[in-house]
Amino acid sequence: MIFFEEEIYEHPTTARIRRALPKASWVPIDRYQELFNKRHQNFKLQKKNPALILAKKHDNFVLPVPSGFGMGSHKNFYFSHMYNCLYDCKYCFLQGMYSSANFVLFVNFEDFFRSISEKIKEYKGQSLTFFSGYDCDSLAFDKLSGFADQALSFFNGLSNVELELRTKSIAIGSLLQREPLSNCIVAFSLSPAQIAKSLDSKAPSINRRISAIKQLADAGWKIGLRFDPLIYTSDWKELYSALFADIMNGLDPERIHSISYGPLRFPKTMYKKAASLHPEHKLFAFPMEETNGVVSYGAKIETQMHDFLKSELNNYISENKIFQCTI
Amino acid sequence: MSEFTNAESNMDPQFKFCWVIALRAEAKPLIDALKMKLVENKSLFPIYANEETGHALVISGTGSIKSAAAATFLKTYLKINDYSAWINLGIAGFFKGPIGDIYQANKVVLKESGAAFFPGLRLSKQIPSAILFTVSKPENGYKEKVLYDMEAAGFCEMAPSFSCNELTYVIKIVSDTPNASSSLITKHLVRELIEKQLSKILDIIAEIEILVEEEKKRLSIPNEVIEFEKRFKFTETNKYKFREIYRKWKVAFPSKKLDLSEFLNSQPKEIILRLEKEVLFNAEDWNVL
Ligand code: SF4
Repeated sequence: MIFFEEEIYEHPTTARIRRALPKASWVPIDRYQELFNKRHQNFKLQKKNPALILAKKHDNFVLPVPSGFGMGSHKNFYFSHMYNCLYDCKYCFLQGMYSSANFVLFVNFEDFFRSISEKIKEYKGQSLTFFSGYDCDSLAFDKLSGFADQALSFFNGLSNVELELRTKSIAIGSLLQREPLSNCIVAFSLSPAQIAKSLDSKAPSINRRISAIKQLADAGWKIGLRFDPLIYTSDWKELYSALFADIMNGLDPERIHSISYGPLRFPKTMYKKAASLHPEHKLFAFPMEETNGVVSYGAKIETQMHDFLKSELNNYISENKIFQCTI
Repeated sequence: MSEFTNAESNMDPQFKFCWVIALRAEAKPLIDALKMKLVENKSLFPIYANEETGHALVISGTGSIKSAAAATFLKTYLKINDYSAWINLGIAGFFKGPIGDIYQANKVVLKESGAAFFPGLRLSKQIPSAILFTVSKPENGYKEKVLYDMEAAGFCEMAPSFSCNELTYVIKIVSDTPNASSSLITKHLVRELIEKQLSKILDIIAEIEILVEEEKKRLSIPNEVIEFEKRFKFTETNKYKFREIYRKWKVAFPSKKLDLSEFLNSQPKEIILRLEKEVLFNAEDWNVL
């Protein structure tokens, strides 16, 4: 089922989706909020059969990232051409943020690019990074949306400006079809395979993600590795060690742009909502600590994991490429 | 007080499906098929129910406001749980034939105000969907490519607050079109149209029941918790803490029972503390898988 704002029915992205899904029911709406922000929606049930909403974004195209996110550029921004995600990770903050599990795709990519150009002008001469995939997965919907191809064409050749596509998807066709961009980082979120199997519902397996990483690296793309959130379990050290070994096996370290890791943390209200959606999952049965409205494993476990990851990752890659994410 | 309330055990019946239907002729085939009995006939809105099959039905009469009011009456009268599905079933005009076709409304618009509702998950494997306009007078022009009824918008305004939008459904059967005037509709025809779609309606029920069961499981409060809350005086804050730590404790120790006799001389805070300790102790060798 596709709901579409009547205003964008003729937009080329909408036309592309019409061609791709000729049998879908198309239902006109005025603005996406009338559907997306309705009260009494049930995120968990909706996730079983989410609708696609095609909309036009009007403002706030590009926003500064929260502090603690980012990898050393002077300025880090994010943009979201979509709200929500095809996958259904148990820890995903989107389930606490939106009352709807329907996908909103903002078809007016050109307005995002215009806004990014304005930021580049505003911060002329400074190094900037733009993160895609904050309120969605950058590539999971790409076969339908065609977003990555347009984003890469826009960023191609921009100096001092980087694009990070953050993903768990293996829909890398549009990247492999073109020459790699020196200012694009394809960043994969990863967890040990057993943990991902239990928590990253509907996302490609870790093996398939690692295989996509290697294909992209071989084709010359810069790779980001994101171990975020770190998940605590009895044999976590062995699991993470084995994961790093699997990823690095046959991967040229030179192709790695950066590695970041971050602890599992939730704002209190988000934790409550996520736990109420998955009351029987062990992720939400651990005795978490709450400090200043943030629910986490607590300083002791976070420090253990931080220390271990840092030293373990140092075996593979120089320290200046390793970052801790603290939001 | 509903005659279904079991005062001794304080257990209310567990209706999984609540039907809100405008006309008796529309309701009759369903009442018969689901073996519902009249349980309330003194008010404006007759109620039928079958506790065993988990179906309850209210006849609202014609009009959007009546539909909302009847749904509310049913909810209150039978103390319907918050995991139940709410279904508005009935006949509707459509811009094209044939009459007798069945549709799920994917968007319901109150024509007078333009207010829009988007009930339910799509049942695309079962039936096609269409937009539905709720009008205040019978529509004979069929100007737009939509279904026309006189109730669904009022129903959609109210029913999602009783459970959720994904358990609210509007199902319509085409009764009149530009080539089959609404003036030809008789009680007999209405019954026949619904009867012919009964097997499809039962398929739909089966699909919705999966969602209802899932929600029931998620929202139900375990008997052990209910027993403890009856036996001990928990403050609201402690009640929340108790339920939360019980949830974690039960996940950690799925086969253990929370034995009331072990806590007879305990204060609510001590119960919470004991569970917290056990959960914390268990976390030392925590396995998330
Ligand atoms: S891939 Fe990312 S955005 Fe998608 S569900 Fe998982 S955590 Fe959320």
